[in-house]
Amino acid sequence: MINHHPSDETLLRQASGSLEAGPRIVVAVHIGGCPACAERIAQFEATGGLFLDEIEPQAMSDDALDRQMARIEVDGERREEHSRPTRADIGIRLPAAMDGCGVGPWRWIGPGVRWSRVTVPQDAGANVMLLKVAAGRRMPEHTHSGYEYTQVLKGSLYDARGRYGPGDLDEADDEVQHQPVVDESGECICIAALEGQMRLRGFFGRLIQPLLGG
Amino acid sequence: MDASGYEFIAGTVSRTFDHTRIEMAMTMRADTGALSAEEAKRLLAAVAEGRDRAAFATLFGFYAPRLKAFMMRSGMAVSTAEDIAQETMLLVWKKASYFDPARAGVSTWIFTIGRNVRIDRLRRESRPAAVVNAFDPSDEPDSPVSGEAAVMAAERDERVRSAVALLSPEQADILRLSFFGDKPQSEIASQLRIPLGTVKSRVRLALSRLRLILDDLK
Repeated sequence: MINHHPSDETLLRQASGSLEAGPRIVVAVHIGGCPACAERIAQFEATGGLFLDEIEPQAMSDDALDRQMARIEVDGERREEHSRPTRADIGIRLPAAMDGCGVGPWRWIGPGVRWSRVTVPQDAGANVMLLKVAAGRRMPEHTHSGYEYTQVLKGSLYDARGRYGPGDLDEADDEVQHQPVVDESGECICIAALEGQMRLRGFFGRLIQPLLGG
Repeated sequence: MDASGYEFIAGTVSRTFDHTRIEMAMTMRADTGALSAEEAKRLLAAVAEGRDRAAFATLFGFYAPRLKAFMMRSGMAVSTAEDIAQETMLLVWKKASYFDPARAGVSTWIFTIGRNVRIDRLRRESRPAAVVNAFDPSDEPDSPVSGEAAVMAAERDERVRSAVALLSPEQADILRLSFFGDKPQSEIASQLRIPLGTVKSRVRLALSRLRLILDDLK
């Protein structure tokens, strides 16, 4: 049962293409496991299709069709070679939405907390990471300048606003200064991305900050 | 279809596509600037199955000028907008066999390809060293769709069309503007000369109204 979803604004930004590359991946992971949000995205994309249909057209240049027809003769049947990025085995099956992402090995960043760098094909500089936090431990304390998107892949965690289990997405704005705690029942793995710059605080923060290049 | 679209198609006859041109000109003559969803589907199927160049040219005639307009509204320079329209239509040709009418209408599918080309373009501009041709999961066909879903895609298009028509003009505008631009909300704010906070609350209101209407139309 999924209880926490991205906001309509976030889904609209996902559908219209204005969400940054990092959050895009996290929201895509959520959509992959949430039929309700997948339908909402489909509706927003259909809205984009409707606006494309309705827009006042701008004439293409005179030779545009000729160039296009010439291009399909040359390039039309060429299959693009997709480079599959390197992925460390991190012990869980990653969702299909992460297929294009590179995944680094788990690195220890503090007692009970491990971190893995996720690289996004659309944006080499995107701040995306996997976090693995042991049962009963706190997530690294941090503040951030934009929204933070966290999707739970395994286990669960909670803070003052509620409990987040597998499939739940937490959207926290810069006013939330939160430090969720992982359930006692087992470790928690989540994928997280940030808009804007993150500032980590405290002991873990000082350890992880250099890894994020902040 | 704008007038120039017809002229350049009828005016230029290349040796390779003679037969294509003639069929196309015939198709174009009847074109009044609209392409029905059914017709678009039929044309795209002809591209996918028969590599039908005339069908593709008709799709190009309708969608390329609209993609160009869409990109220009998003703040792209004329030449970049035209480039993205060309790039998008090349992908329409290449990926035609991946189009699944059970998932979305042709316009919606082409919108998503154009959106991805635009994201890619912006990314390359800001980070020239990034990986080119990276794998995009949205390129690949997903799991098969049931017959029920096939009906749903067409119904969804209808519902969305009706829902947008039921919004107030102001709400429809803010929704439309949300599809243009890289940082839509701050750009909308300067475009409409209203504070960012007002844009945010207007978008939120428009979306909750849209949600209400869409859920009601189910």
